[in-house]
Amino acid sequence: MSIDIHKLQFNLDALASRLKGQASQRRNRLQQAIRQMGYLNGQVINEKRMRGKFAWPIPTFPSNPTSHYATMLPPQDYSVLATDGSRIDIDDELPVKCALLNISKVLLNYGFTPNAELSSESQFFTEDDQLFFTDTSSTRSQILDKPLLGLKSSVEELVSLAELAENSNSKVPTLALVDGSLILWGQTIQAYPDYISQILINETFLPALDKLKKITSSRPLILAGYISLPASTGVADGLRLSICPYEPVSCDYHCGHLERGKRECDSIGGFLDRDLFSHILQPGQRSDLFVSTSSIVREYYGGHAISFYYLNTGEEIARIEVPKWIAENENLLNLSHSLILDQCEKGLGYPVALMEAHEQAVIPQHDRELFRQMIEETLEKEHVSVYTSQKTRSKKLRSL
Amino acid sequence: MLSEHKSPDLSRIGEVVEATSISFTVHCYELHLGAPLGALIKTDTPEIFAVVNNVSTSSIDPTRRPVARGQDEKDSDSVYLHNPQLKKLLKTEIHALIVGHKDNNNLHQYLPALPPRIHAFAHHCNIDDLRKFTQKLGFLPLLLEGPPTLADEITSAFLRQAALTHPDPDSFLFTSGQEVAQLLGNDLRRLNSLLRRLK
Amino acid sequence: MSIDRLGIIIGGSWANGLDIKLNSSFEIEDVIVGSLVTVQGKNSRFFGIISDMVLEASDQSLRSSPPDIDDPFITKIISGTGAFTVIKFSPHLSITNKANSILHGPEPALTIPSHFASAFPASDSDINLIYGKEDEKHLWIGSPLGLEDSRLCIDLERLVQRSTGVFGRSGTGKTFLTRILLAGILQKGVATNLVFDMHNDYGYQGTNEKGNPVKGLKLLFPNRVALFSLDRDSFVRRKVSPDAEVKIGYAEITPDDIRILAETLDLSHLAVEATYRLAQFYGQSNWLREFLSIDPRDELNELAKSLNEFPSTLGSLHRKLERLKRLSFVTETAPEDAVTRILEYLNRGIHVVLEFGKYYDDYLAYIFVTNLLTRRIHEQYVRRVEESMGDQSKEPRPLVITIEEAHRFLTPAIASQTIFGNIAREMRKYKVSLLIVDQRPSGIDEEVLSQLGTRMTYRLDNERDVDAVLAGASGARELRRVLSRLDSRQQALIFGDALPMPTVIRTRDYGTNESYQEFGLKNSVDHQKQMEQDAKDLFGDGE
Repeated sequence: MSIDIHKLQFNLDALASRLKGQASQRRNRLQQAIRQMGYLNGQVINEKRMRGKFAWPIPTFPSNPTSHYATMLPPQDYSVLATDGSRIDIDDELPVKCALLNISKVLLNYGFTPNAELSSESQFFTEDDQLFFTDTSSTRSQILDKPLLGLKSSVEELVSLAELAENSNSKVPTLALVDGSLILWGQTIQAYPDYISQILINETFLPALDKLKKITSSRPLILAGYISLPASTGVADGLRLSICPYEPVSCDYHCGHLERGKRECDSIGGFLDRDLFSHILQPGQRSDLFVSTSSIVREYYGGHAISFYYLNTGEEIARIEVPKWIAENENLLNLSHSLILDQCEKGLGYPVALMEAHEQAVIPQHDRELFRQMIEETLEKEHVSVYTSQKTRSKKLRSL
Repeated sequence: MLSEHKSPDLSRIGEVVEATSISFTVHCYELHLGAPLGALIKTDTPEIFAVVNNVSTSSIDPTRRPVARGQDEKDSDSVYLHNPQLKKLLKTEIHALIVGHKDNNNLHQYLPALPPRIHAFAHHCNIDDLRKFTQKLGFLPLLLEGPPTLADEITSAFLRQAALTHPDPDSFLFTSGQEVAQLLGNDLRRLNSLLRRLK
Repeated sequence: MSIDRLGIIIGGSWANGLDIKLNSSFEIEDVIVGSLVTVQGKNSRFFGIISDMVLEASDQSLRSSPPDIDDPFITKIISGTGAFTVIKFSPHLSITNKANSILHGPEPALTIPSHFASAFPASDSDINLIYGKEDEKHLWIGSPLGLEDSRLCIDLERLVQRSTGVFGRSGTGKTFLTRILLAGILQKGVATNLVFDMHNDYGYQGTNEKGNPVKGLKLLFPNRVALFSLDRDSFVRRKVSPDAEVKIGYAEITPDDIRILAETLDLSHLAVEATYRLAQFYGQSNWLREFLSIDPRDELNELAKSLNEFPSTLGSLHRKLERLKRLSFVTETAPEDAVTRILEYLNRGIHVVLEFGKYYDDYLAYIFVTNLLTRRIHEQYVRRVEESMGDQSKEPRPLVITIEEAHRFLTPAIASQTIFGNIAREMRKYKVSLLIVDQRPSGIDEEVLSQLGTRMTYRLDNERDVDAVLAGASGARELRRVLSRLDSRQQALIFGDALPMPTVIRTRDYGTNESYQEFGLKNSVDHQKQMEQDAKDLFGDGE
């Protein structure tokens, strides 16, 4: 049955005018928020946070959160390393469980001897010890389901990146880029039992970070995570804290009963960090460093505490995460800024090394189908019956 | 992806990646080089001779297209210098029409029973090869097959190159001209335009 | 020495001629229409002449967009491939590999060679094979087109078995060819010649177009030729004396002889009839004498009454016959019978040339004398042949009578009545044949023309003359094309009995010392013997 176009149009018209009104309202509030940010004292925010119980997680602020830095010219000779991963999840419809992880490695040399190396490697998970995480102390095990495979992928990407860095021995500044955050998804990983974190973070992720740090001690290697279109609101939420009238801050206690929009801090809320910084940073400029206060970082990362800054690439406001040992090194920090910008320029808005890493990692659709087909053929050969659900069947046949 | 090894045999152009009874495609080791239009190339075991009738460079991944990158560069070499991944993402292929093959050291100027294998090596032919091959002109109907304008371009390019390997180039061009005239007898306009390209 | 292949057969038919694609290595301009070609079939060799040449293109778009002619590379390639020449060739003769065929020589072709048979320009040995080598029966008459050094022969024996025609516009060389034929007939001894030499060309000496003297039969063969004259004075002027003089007495002249002069004398039909009446009245031997002696003013009317004729008819007849009287060689009584004298020589195998001297332009004299003498000589031949009754040793030697301006003797109107028409039709029954030399063949009676065994013609411009010469010839259409292309002098088309196939020749030279020597002015023992024999013949033993 078709929809009532007239009714829809009527509703859309009403929506449009409301949005228009809202937009100008929003613009005003944003300008106000930015002004407010200009008055902020980062120290004050930090202390206020530590004293109270604030509902939103906010990072550690620099003293002047609106300060911005222009970039320096990147060096002629430099290298970029990047990795990315793509996966085929376990298909519940198959009688056997298998998964695939495809990790790509990209090395680009610029300057005197330009060259590129692009490759990818697949890992197949078909045996139990590959498909399950087992708790050594108990006998509990966790299957490599979709979210977990995603985590594993991120971890393996960093491991590969560390290997890449190890195997390249160039003396020129080398940017090691990760696509996405250096902080493993807090919420996701916290949904699993501790032994998962133990295996993934302690036994795999952190050693890779250690490796990278060690390399940095002998040559200029800059590890950074590039987050495009960041949805974080850490800094914006800090603004809320700054106008919260209560001391100590306790959101549950003071405002738990209030509806949204009625709280004091709501007047300055509702923005993303990138909204704010798009008005603060000129193209090419970066913000000052903020430090992540994520529980995962606090609990596990140790000396690898993660800082971040926002960067106006010219195309967007990106969020760049760096480990402590980069953040504290002014030279390396500046290199991260200029090299990432250069990569974005070459990549027409997105770091070219990450783009190539992504392309190398991607598993094309027909390869996915081939994967499935080969499994089915193997099973049939061994006389294991393969049947799919009726839903899949009907999708495949598309009969009338 | 191809490794960056320099091929041990300098006459090697690349490898056959597609083959049919009348033609084959070679993926060249070197980007943008390969072999020029109208050149004679051969595969090994069995030795199959073919004439290059198309040289193309494109993205290895068919879903990705090259985009212009050099607005701020001073020349196109700089584009490659500043984007080293480009050379790894492009490939040059040459397409060649089969014009003959060797079988027990006998040269035949007709199509072989079977095309070359995939991954057979393709080689340039040297002056000697070209001269020996063009002692006879039986391959001409194979070259003249297909859309006439392209076929005529390729044929004349090939004959011009071949003429230079003979002791009397003018006489070779004249003889080939006569052979072509026999084959294109009923289309004198086409013959005229091809003969003009033979000089 | 290998000959380059002219081309190969690519099509055509027996009826319309075969097509030869010209080899690209041959220059088209070197190929001559009318020249001889040999085609090598699987089991036979074919001989014929080129009758046409056609420029063809494998693609008709050549006509609307020809190649770039300023580029010699392209034009050279295309001519011979996309643009090529087709030569039309009619196979006339063929000879197979079999022994009896080789023995008999080439015969008329009844089949054709297959596709792709090779064609070559005819070689010397081909010429000899087809036409025969020069010997006592074959006369070298000239060279075929394109093969200037070859000697092409006609079969003289076959030539004289029937009457022959030599045609061409004035000045084309008929006279030269006739001299060659006469000299040849004389040299080979296949017949005896009797020449009615109207313009004094053949007997003693003639001139060529430059005005230089050319030897006549008498100078070439002094002991074998007798010169008769109608006009002694012309001889005296030349400081030569004729062997005999011809006088014609009235008694020899019959009404038949008058009849043939009807047109020349402008006699009416009635007048001609009157002569017969007169002869009846006065008697065959006397009628002319009597008639000419009467006084037209007085006795005519009476005579008219006696004969039942109109006086005016007789009057006009008398006047016109006076013209005859005025001819200096016509006398009331001749000292001797010219015919008998001539026959004496002819019987001994001596050739006779009757020069007309000052009467060289006088048609009346020419027709009158030629007809009269021929009639009587022929009569004798008939008698002798009939008397011999099949015994060849008793038969007279074959006689060839040469007449010029034949269209005056042989018009359709009178051909049936003159002796020449009879001779032509008789086909040598009585051992007499004609050699007709003429430039208006269209004036000659068709039937007579068709009786000519061999025709030799130089270029003719008039369509009707061309039609006349070719009438009844096989392959006339092809010959017509060739005929229209002959060069003005010295190229003649010969066809008929004397040649196995129609051929265009460049006639041999006549008039140079070498040419005279060719005709037998040699100083060998044979020559000496011949001279002695000649002397005997002429003068009898012991005279």
